[in-house]
Amino acid sequence: MARLRWGLRLPAAAVCAASLAGGCARAADAALIAAAQKEGEVVWYTTQIISQLVRPVSAAFEKKYGVKVRAARANSTEVSVKIINESRAGRPQSDVFDGTSTVVPLKKEGYVLKWLPDPAKAYPAQYKDPEGYWVANNLYFLAPGFNTRLVPRGSEPRTYQALLDPKWRGKMAWSTTATSSGGSGFIGTVLTEMGSESGMAYLRELAKQRIANVGSAAREVLDQVIAGEYSLALQIFNHHAVISGKKGAPVDWIKMEPVTGTLSVISVHKDAPHPNAAKLLVDFIISTEGQHIFRDAEYLPADPTVPPLTPALTPEGGKFRTRFFTPEQTEDAIAGWKKIYDDLFW
Amino acid sequence: MTSSIDLVPAAPATHRKPLCDDAGIETIWSRLSAYQTRLLAAFLIVVLAALVLPPLLFLLKASVLDAQRGEWSLVNFEVVLGSRRFLASSANSLVFAAGSAALALVIGWITAWIVERTNTPLKSLAYLTAIISLGTPYILYVTAWLLVFGKAGPVNQLYRALSGTSDVVINIYSMPGMIMVEGFLWSPLAFLLAGATLRNANPELEEAARVSGAGIWQTIRRVTLRLSLPSILALSMLVFIRAVEAFEVPALAGLPGRVSVLTTDIYSNMVARAPPDVGGASALSVLMLALVLVLLAIYGRLSRHADKFATVTGKGFQPRPFDLGRLRYAAAAMLVANFLLLLLVPVAMLTWVSLLPFYQPLSAAAFDLVTLANYRTVFSPDHVGLIVNTLLVATATATIAVALTFAAAWLSVRRAPCGWAVERLATVPLVFPGLVLGIAVMQLFLRLPIPLYGTLAILVWAFVINYLPYGMRYSASGMLQIHRELEESAEICGASAWTRLARIVAPLLAPALLAGWLFIFLMAARVLSLPILLAGPRSQTMAVTLFDLWSNGQGTELAALGLIWSALMAMIAAIFYGLARRSAAGALARA
Repeated sequence: MARLRWGLRLPAAAVCAASLAGGCARAADAALIAAAQKEGEVVWYTTQIISQLVRPVSAAFEKKYGVKVRAARANSTEVSVKIINESRAGRPQSDVFDGTSTVVPLKKEGYVLKWLPDPAKAYPAQYKDPEGYWVANNLYFLAPGFNTRLVPRGSEPRTYQALLDPKWRGKMAWSTTATSSGGSGFIGTVLTEMGSESGMAYLRELAKQRIANVGSAAREVLDQVIAGEYSLALQIFNHHAVISGKKGAPVDWIKMEPVTGTLSVISVHKDAPHPNAAKLLVDFIISTEGQHIFRDAEYLPADPTVPPLTPALTPEGGKFRTRFFTPEQTEDAIAGWKKIYDDLFW
Repeated sequence: MTSSIDLVPAAPATHRKPLCDDAGIETIWSRLSAYQTRLLAAFLIVVLAALVLPPLLFLLKASVLDAQRGEWSLVNFEVVLGSRRFLASSANSLVFAAGSAALALVIGWITAWIVERTNTPLKSLAYLTAIISLGTPYILYVTAWLLVFGKAGPVNQLYRALSGTSDVVINIYSMPGMIMVEGFLWSPLAFLLAGATLRNANPELEEAARVSGAGIWQTIRRVTLRLSLPSILALSMLVFIRAVEAFEVPALAGLPGRVSVLTTDIYSNMVARAPPDVGGASALSVLMLALVLVLLAIYGRLSRHADKFATVTGKGFQPRPFDLGRLRYAAAAMLVANFLLLLLVPVAMLTWVSLLPFYQPLSAAAFDLVTLANYRTVFSPDHVGLIVNTLLVATATATIAVALTFAAAWLSVRRAPCGWAVERLATVPLVFPGLVLGIAVMQLFLRLPIPLYGTLAILVWAFVINYLPYGMRYSASGMLQIHRELEESAEICGASAWTRLARIVAPLLAPALLAGWLFIFLMAARVLSLPILLAGPRSQTMAVTLFDLWSNGQGTELAALGLIWSALMAMIAAIFYGLARRSAAGALARA
C-alpha cells in the first residue's frame, strides 16, 4: 500500500525533492502518521453525501492508518454556522471541513488553518487557495435532472427558456439551501449569464412556474424526482444522476448550458482538537490514492492525473459550457441571490 | 383519576382548594421540620431559577442587541416586523395550528367516545395505535405520510389509475395537507386525553337522558358534548399551542408548498447564512414567546373551567356503554380506518421504502430492487452509539425533571413557604417553543465559560427545562390525591421532612412519578425541534439523526433506522401505558 502511494505521488515528491534535500515527504509523513494515530480519531464536517462518498473514503482511511473518522453532514452554510457557533463557544468540534463555500466566512472569522498538504502542489492553481487555506477535493457540475419515466427521453427541456413552458408548472423542484446547489445557486448562474436586467426578467417568468422548495440537500430533491414526486429537479449534481441511473433508477441529467461549475474544497480547523489526524485525512483525500476513491464513487476528482469514471460529466468529456464560481465568488454573492430567491420564489 | 396520562400542563396546585381545610394544618410549617422545608425550598428556588431564567434573559438580550454595531437597539424587531413575511408566517402559524387542533380533536374525541362509551368491537386497535404512536418520532411519521399522500404515493397513484387523469386528489404540500398530517400526528394523544376525561365523566346525566327517551345523537349532542365542552376546549388549546410550535410538518410539507410559518422562519435565520442572524432569530423568538404567552393565558382560563366540571364527577362508577346496534360495525370500521391511517399504512410504507435502494412507488418492477442493504448499513456501531446517547439523554432528563418536580410539587401542594415561587418557576418554561428554547440555551452556553456546548449535557440541560412543567403536572396531580393526614401522623411521631418525603410521599406517589418519568422519557426521545440546534457530532439524538438522514438524501436508510427505533420505543411506550393504567386504577380504588 505504502509503495503504491509513494509511486502515485511522484509529482509531489519530485517537487519536494527538488526544493529540499530529499526524502522530506516520507519523514514528515511518518511523524504525522504517528501523531495522528496517537490522536486516534478525526472529526470531519462534510457536505458530501455520506452513503455515496464519505463511507468509502472513511473506510479506506481507517484501514490504511487505523485512525477513526467521525463524519457529520450538513449543507455548506450549515457547516459554517456550526463551526462558527462551536468556535465562539471555545469548543471547536471539527478537525476537517469541506463544502463549496463553507471556508469563506470561516476564513474571515479566523478559524481556518493556513496549510496545504503536499499532494496539493501538483494541483492546478485554480484548484487551491492562493493564500493557502483550502484545496479542492472534487469538481461539481450542477444542472437539471429528470425522471425518465415521467419525461420520455428527448422531451426533456434543453434550454433555460424551455423551463418556462407551462407544461412544467408545478412539476419542478429545487433545494432551499442557500448554496450553489439550491435555488439561490440557480439564480446566480442565470444572473451571471444573462446579466442582471434580462436575468431578473427571466427569473420573474420562472417564478410563475411554482417550483417546489424542498428543504433538504439536492440529493434528496433528485431522490424525490426519482420517486416521481416531481418531473424535474433543478440545480442537482450531474454525477448523482449517473450514480442513481447505474443502480437502475429512472433518472438522467440535462446538459443545459451554461452548466454551473464549482469546487468542493477542504480545509483544516485552526484549533482542531486532532490537528495531526486532520492533516493526515486531508493529505489522504487529496492524494492520488484518495482521489481514486472519489473516482470509483463516480465523483469528479480534482487531481488532474485521475480521470473521471464517466468523462461525459465534465465539460471536456461532455462538451458543454459552464459558468464557473470559486468559493469566494459564491460566498460574496450568495446573500444577494438568496434575497432574490426569497422575494420571487416564496 | 386518570390524570397520570393527562399531560395538560396547567398550573394545577395553587388555585385549587386544598383537600382538607382544617385550621390547624397551616401551622404544620411552623413546627419542627420548618427548617428542613425552608432549606429545600431555598435549594429548589436557586436550582430552578438557575435553569429557567438565564435562557430567557439571554434570548431577550440577543433580541435587543444590534450584532453589527454591538449596541442596544430595536433594529431586530424593526426588521422582523417590517417584513411582509412576518405577517404571512404568523397568519399561517395560526391557521395551521387551529386546523390541526380541530382535526386532531375530531378524530381523537370520536375515537375516544367510541372506545369509552359504546359496545363497539375492536376497541383494542385504538389503544394499540395510540401507544405505538407515543414512541414514534414525529419526523418518522411525517416522512411516512408524505410518502403515502405525496404526488407519487399510493393514494394519488390509485386516484390517477381510477380517474385516468394525471392529477392528484390530495396535494400534501399545501396548508390543508399540512393540517391533515399535523392533525393525524396529534390525534392519538387527543384520543388518550379525551378518553381519560370521558372515562372520568359521570354517566348519570347521560343515562337520565336516555331513560327520558333521548336517542344516541341527541344524548351526545345535548349532554355528553356539553359536559365535555370545557375539557374539549382545553385539549384543543393544548394541541393548538403544540402546533404553533411544530417544526417537522412545516419543514417537510410546508416549504415545498411555499407555506412558511414562524418556526421555519426562525430556523432559517439560524442556519441559512453564516454567520447566523442570531438577532433576527431571537427577535422572532421573543415575538413567538409572546404569542404563546397569550395562548397560555387563554388556556389557563379554559382549563380552570375544565377542572370545575371534572370535579363535579369524581365518584367510582361503571358507565353502561351505549348499544349502537348495527351502527357499531360502522364505528368499528372507523377504528379500523384509524388504525390503518395512523399505524399500518405508514409502517407498511416505511417498510417498503426501507427495502429499496431509492424511493419507488409500489410496482411489480420495483420488487426486483428489494434489498436488505439499508438494514445492513443501519446496524453499525455508530448507530448503536446513537441509540445509547438518546436513551441516556432521555433517561437523565426524565430522572432530573421528575426528581426536581417531585420536591417542587410537594412544597407547592402542601403550601410550604415560598411554595408558590417554586411552582411558578417550574411552570415558566411552558412559554418556550422547543426551537426557541434551543436558541436560548445555545446563546447561554456560547457566552458562558462553561464548556458544555456540543455535549450530551447541554441537551439534558435544555430538555430538563422544557419538561419541568410536565413533571410538575404529573407530580402535583398525584400529590393532590395523597391526604396530608398521613404525613401529619408521621410528623407527630417525630419524623423529619426528609423522612416523610422518602418514606411516605415518595412510595405513595410512585405510580404517578413513574408515569411522568416515562412520559418525559418518550417525549425527550422523540422531539426534534429542541435538540436540532444544540446537537453536536458526538451528541446527536435519534430524532436529529433521522432529520439529518432526510435532509442529506438518505431517505431509505431513514426508514430502516426509524422502524428499528420505533419498535424499541413502542415496547417502552407499552410499559408506560400499562403503568399509567395501573396507577389510574389504583387512584380510582382509593377514591
